[in-house]
Amino acid sequence: MRSALKLLPVALSATLTLTLATYADQPFDIQSQVGPNPVLPDIQQYLFPQMHLSSVVGWKSGETPTVAVGLKIEALATGLQHPRSLYTLPNGDVLVVESKAPPPQPITRPKDIVMRFIEKGVTSGGDPGPSNRITLLRYDPAGGKPPTRSVFLDHLHSPFGVALVGDDLYVANTDAIVGYPYHTGDLTISGNGVTLTELPGGPIDHHWTKSLTASRDGLLLYVGVGSNSNITENGIEAEKNRAAIWEVDRVSGRWRIFASGLRNPNGLTFEPESGALWTVVNERDELGPNLVPDYMTSVKDGAFYGWPYSYYGKHLDPRVEPQRPDLVEKAIVPDYALSSHVAPLGLVFCTVDSLPQKYRGGAFVGEHGSWNRLTFNGYRVVFVPFSGGHPNGKAEDVVTNFLDADGKARGRPVGLAIDKTGALLIADDVGNTIWRVSSAGQ
Amino acid sequence: MSKTHAEGNPLSIEYPRSRMRILRQPIHPMLVPIPIACIVGVLLTDLTYWWSAEMMWANCSAWLVTVGVIFGYLAAIFGLIDFLGSRSIRAQSPAWPHAIGNVVLLILATLNMFVHSRDAWTSVVPWGLALSAAAVLILLFTAWMGRAPVYEHRVGVAE
Repeated sequence: MRSALKLLPVALSATLTLTLATYADQPFDIQSQVGPNPVLPDIQQYLFPQMHLSSVVGWKSGETPTVAVGLKIEALATGLQHPRSLYTLPNGDVLVVESKAPPPQPITRPKDIVMRFIEKGVTSGGDPGPSNRITLLRYDPAGGKPPTRSVFLDHLHSPFGVALVGDDLYVANTDAIVGYPYHTGDLTISGNGVTLTELPGGPIDHHWTKSLTASRDGLLLYVGVGSNSNITENGIEAEKNRAAIWEVDRVSGRWRIFASGLRNPNGLTFEPESGALWTVVNERDELGPNLVPDYMTSVKDGAFYGWPYSYYGKHLDPRVEPQRPDLVEKAIVPDYALSSHVAPLGLVFCTVDSLPQKYRGGAFVGEHGSWNRLTFNGYRVVFVPFSGGHPNGKAEDVVTNFLDADGKARGRPVGLAIDKTGALLIADDVGNTIWRVSSAGQ
Repeated sequence: MSKTHAEGNPLSIEYPRSRMRILRQPIHPMLVPIPIACIVGVLLTDLTYWWSAEMMWANCSAWLVTVGVIFGYLAAIFGLIDFLGSRSIRAQSPAWPHAIGNVVLLILATLNMFVHSRDAWTSVVPWGLALSAAAVLILLFTAWMGRAPVYEHRVGVAE
C-alpha cells in the first residue's frame, strides 16, 4: 500500500499533464467571485475532473501560518488527532472536537475506487490515532504555560458540532445529537449521553460533518445535514432530509426542515446584530475550476437554495434528472460568494474588542482548501466585513500560508472559535494543531 | 504464404499459428468475447438509464465500460503480438481493417469510460450514449472482419 501511494504523485501528475494539455484554463479573475454578485462562467465538464491535491507534510518545529498586519499567531496545542471544530465554554475552557470520517460508503461504481484511493493519500494526512473524541483545553494566556488537557468525551461517532444550553451539552455526531449533563468547571463528562434526535448517517454518509448551534433563547437547536453525494449520483432517495438545516426542539427532540437546497452547510452561527442564522456552504464540484462558488448566507425559514437542481438561483445543473422546475422557481440566491472550491467549513463572528477594531462585527471564515481545480484556492482564514447585519466589502486574508512553497499542506483550517480572552482559535485538521490568533500589541 | 493456405491435402497443410497461446489455445480469441459483451451491454444499460433515470443503470454502464476497456486492451495486446509476429496473419486482407477498426473502437471506449466517470445524468446523456452507440456500430464491423481470419483462414485453428 505504501509503495503504491508513492506512485500516486506520478500517476496524478501524468493525469494533470494530460488534463492541462487538453484544456488550458481560460484566464479568470478569482476576485470576481468574491462578494454578493459572483461572475458565473459557462459549465465545463471534463473527461477527467480537474484535480490538484495537496499532500500533507505537517508543521516543522517553529513554523506557523502567516497572519495579517496587527495580529500574532501561536500554536495553542499540537499533536492532536484530526481536530475539526472548537467550542468555547463559559468558563473559558475550550473543547477541541477531534473527528474522523465515518466508514467509507459502499462502492457503487469504478470512480468510487479511484476517488477513495486518491483521498487516502491527501485529505487525512495519515492516521492521527483513534480520534473521535473531544479534548478539553484549559489555559491562561497571561501565564505563558501550555494548556492543560483532559479527555472530555471519548468514543464518539464522527462528532463535529457542539452546543451548550444551561447544563445541557449537546454533541452532534454524524448520526445523532446526543445530550450530556455538564457543570461549569468539569474536565470530563461522567454522565451518560442521551440521544435527542437521530440524524441521517450511514451506510452512505457522504458529507458527514453535522454543524450545531442553539437559538438565543435555548429552546431550539439548528443542525447542518450535508448532501449524500456531489450531485445526486447516489440516487435522489439517498438525499432524503439532507442538504438541509434542521430545526430541533430541544425538549422533545422533534425536528423539521428549516431550510433546504444547501449542499453542505457548516459553521452554523447567529449573526449578532440581526440575530439571523448564518452558514457557510460547500457548493457542487466537477463543473469547472470556477464553478460553483462556495458561499456564506443568512438562512431564511422555509427557504430553498437550489441544490441539487440549480445554483445561485435558477442556474440549472444539467446533471440532475428529473429536474424540478417548481423548486428551481423559488430557489434563493445566497448572500455572499467566497469563490469556487475554497471549501468553507468554519464561521465565527467577531464580537470582541480585543482584536483590531476593523474586525469588529465581521465574520471569519475557515477555508479548508480546493481539490477540484488546478491552482489551489482557499487554504486560509478570511475576514468578511459586516455592517448592519450584512456583508459590506471584500473578503480579505487573515491567516495564510497553510501550504508551503511546494504546494504541500502543512495544515488546513477547519472550525473557528473566539476564546474567552477574545482571541481567534483555528482548528487545523491535518496539522493537528490549534492556532491562537491575537492582537500583535498585546 | 500460399503453403499456409488451407487448401489441398488437409494432412500436409499448416494453418497460421497464433503467437500467444496457452496449452495450444490462442489467447486473443479467448479474450475478445469479454469486451464485445461489455460494449454491447453498455449500449443497453445506457438506453435503460436514458429511459428510467434510475442511477443503478448508469452505475451498470460505468462498470461495463470500464471492464470492457481493461479487457479490450488485454485482447489488443495479444492480438497485436499475433498480428505483428506472423506474416501469414498480416497477409490476410481482413486482418488489417480488423486491427485498425479495433484501435478506433478502443479509443472510443476509453473516451466513453471517462464520460461515464462523470456524476449522474451527463455521464450518459447525451455523449455517453452516443459513444456507446458508435462503439457498437464499429464493433459489428470489426467483429465481422475478425471472423474471416478464423473461420475462413483458420488463424489459430489447431492443426
